[in-house]
Amino acid sequence: MGSLNASLAIAVGALTADQGALDATSNNVANASTPGYSRQVPVFSENTPIVVGSLTFGSGVSLEQLQSIRDPILQIRIAQETQDQGQLGSFVSSMQQVQVLFNNTSGSDIGSQLSNFFGSLNQLSADPTDLSLRQGVLTAAGNLANSFNTTANNLAQQRSNLDLDVTQDVRQVNTLTGQIAQLNGQISNLQNIGANASVFVDQRDQLIGQLSSLIDVSQIQSDNGGLTLTTSNGTALVAGEQSFSLITQPDSTGQQRIFAQGKDITSTLTSGQIAGVLQVRDQKIPALLTSLDTLAAGLSNSLNSANEVGFDLNGNPGTALFSTPPASGVGAASAMSVALTDPSLVAASSDGSAGSNGNLAALSAVNDQPVVSGQTPAQFYSNIVFFVGSDVANGTANQNASQLVLQQLQDQRGSVSGVSLDEEASHLVLFQQAYDSAARVVTAINQMMEEAVNLGSD
Amino acid sequence: MRVNPNSMPDLLNALAQTEQQQNTELLQLSTGRRVNQPSDDPAAEAQLIENKAESAQADSFQQSLSSINGQFQTADSTLSSIETQLQRAITLGTQAANQGTLSDNDRLAIANELQGIQNQLVSLANTSYQGVFLFSGTVQTQPFVVDASVPSGVRYAGNTGLNRVTVGAGYQLQGNLPGSQLFSATGSDVFQSMTDLIQSVQTNSNIGDSVAEVNKAFTYLSTQRVFYGNAMNQVTSQQNFLSSETVELSTQENTIAGADISVIASNLVQTENARQAALQAIGRMPPRSLFDFLQ
Repeated sequence: MGSLNASLAIAVGALTADQGALDATSNNVANASTPGYSRQVPVFSENTPIVVGSLTFGSGVSLEQLQSIRDPILQIRIAQETQDQGQLGSFVSSMQQVQVLFNNTSGSDIGSQLSNFFGSLNQLSADPTDLSLRQGVLTAAGNLANSFNTTANNLAQQRSNLDLDVTQDVRQVNTLTGQIAQLNGQISNLQNIGANASVFVDQRDQLIGQLSSLIDVSQIQSDNGGLTLTTSNGTALVAGEQSFSLITQPDSTGQQRIFAQGKDITSTLTSGQIAGVLQVRDQKIPALLTSLDTLAAGLSNSLNSANEVGFDLNGNPGTALFSTPPASGVGAASAMSVALTDPSLVAASSDGSAGSNGNLAALSAVNDQPVVSGQTPAQFYSNIVFFVGSDVANGTANQNASQLVLQQLQDQRGSVSGVSLDEEASHLVLFQQAYDSAARVVTAINQMMEEAVNLGSD
Repeated sequence: MRVNPNSMPDLLNALAQTEQQQNTELLQLSTGRRVNQPSDDPAAEAQLIENKAESAQADSFQQSLSSINGQFQTADSTLSSIETQLQRAITLGTQAANQGTLSDNDRLAIANELQGIQNQLVSLANTSYQGVFLFSGTVQTQPFVVDASVPSGVRYAGNTGLNRVTVGAGYQLQGNLPGSQLFSATGSDVFQSMTDLIQSVQTNSNIGDSVAEVNKAFTYLSTQRVFYGNAMNQVTSQQNFLSSETVELSTQENTIAGADISVIASNLVQTENARQAALQAIGRMPPRSLFDFLQ
């Protein structure tokens, strides 16, 4: 049976529902520029009808929930792409610093100094007794050794800077996993009592985004809004309300290794900033140092034996031109130095007579000989530069590609979850009109009630 | 279809990209090079390093060439002076041989002049260029010493060492002739022939034979002098070769790493336009929404 009271109840219910919907609109507008905010949509539902005899009366509307519009799969794709982006970003920026050392426009790089050194030998061969030309050879040799030292030392320095990055990144990972674990607790508490945890889910997605840029993260969602985060090889970072801290400890060479629950996971990290930093620290720079050591050792040994065959200005047998590199070659580049200080000791002579230049040809020949790995010094060095350059070039290309993908994914997320002010304005119109209409119904019922109360008077 | 209501990140990204592009192009324009760091073109950079090494080598060959060319020229003109002196000696010897008209005093005067020539020859044979004796082989001592104990009166203190100067990849020029080969060759010994001539004139005997001996030494020396002529020709042709190689190397460097200025300049204009467009797009970002139209 329909009654005025029932109609009033329906109208009042509509007023409440519309107010709630306006709340959502207002919140959306307020958070239009909040990063990571997912827009809320009011979900209205019809109340259970009342059946009286053959009649079914509707009983109004209620606001069931304010639903946050988000696409969890998209969120995971964004997190993955962010990991790649983080890895490529730190890799490229570290390698760009490395590349500076091999830039030949400065004229102080190893390649230029190699040419200068062999050039000074050629000049001396035209006038082998000239002391200033002999000094020129020693100076050029010193510059060559110096360029090896500087390059190797700078690489070592960059390596220890990267080491510092690892420690800082790990500290940041720990902060983020702690916060995510805390949010996990709040989310499951709210969802257990059927409340809306949307705000916290948005915050958590933001933090996972930040975490993804640092380290590789796999997500496992559980039913009640809980979330487990692991690295891609299964090391737990966050399980529900608990987070697991990573620890850095220096190894025997002083490089920081990353441990999770006592296990060394350094080499298993494959993406995120940390992985990019580790790749340069543990693979690229050591490989470069080894190459430089090989070149320095090969060059020193060949030039030393060439100098030892000849005779100096005083007719004495020549001695080593450069300090003898370590037998293993390790550290040869940073330790390279000129062993001779007296220019008359350059062994230009092949027969012991002062004016002979015969042995200079033997020294110069090192320039065209396969000194290292079957390559001439210049070939070997240009190969090193090629690999540094192509690492940076490829890294940058991949980074740009990944940037485009990430951009598109974020556009996609925006099209799903972003707040459109136009849309909100239209919602506002809609809800306001609905509210107005419901209010009018209340007014109408009020009049009708008055008429009913006043029936029979007058 | 719902679109992403916030396109600001896209636009900012486009802006950053055009800015980077612009910086790269400005750098290319200002350096005139397409490759400014290894990552710009790793393969080209590797080629550049070898190109630079070759071109530095060519430069040092050029320096060596001009340095030994100085030695060659000095040696050649020294030999020319020696030839003049020997010719004078031959003339004097021929006069002395003409016995009918000469008194003993005349011959003595000739002998004295010949002795003077001999001294001058020793001094010429000891010529140095920038502190380096030209005819001492590879030792750095005065090569010819007056020494009465040897038959010719002049002792060779140098050695027979030869210096080869590298003036091209795998190309060496002989840089000297030892004095022993030039002046003290058996049968054509300059000093021996002069000593013999002086003695002949002094003793007025066999002057004709001695003149013939000096003449032989003279002819021999002239043949030897050809070496320096040839060497200077080789220097010139190698200098020309190296100059053209240097030009070729720098052309190659330009091909490898040079920037096509006109293309880059027009690209830069395009980039500037793109940047302008992106900036304008951001400026035109709808400042208003539907809210502004609701009363």
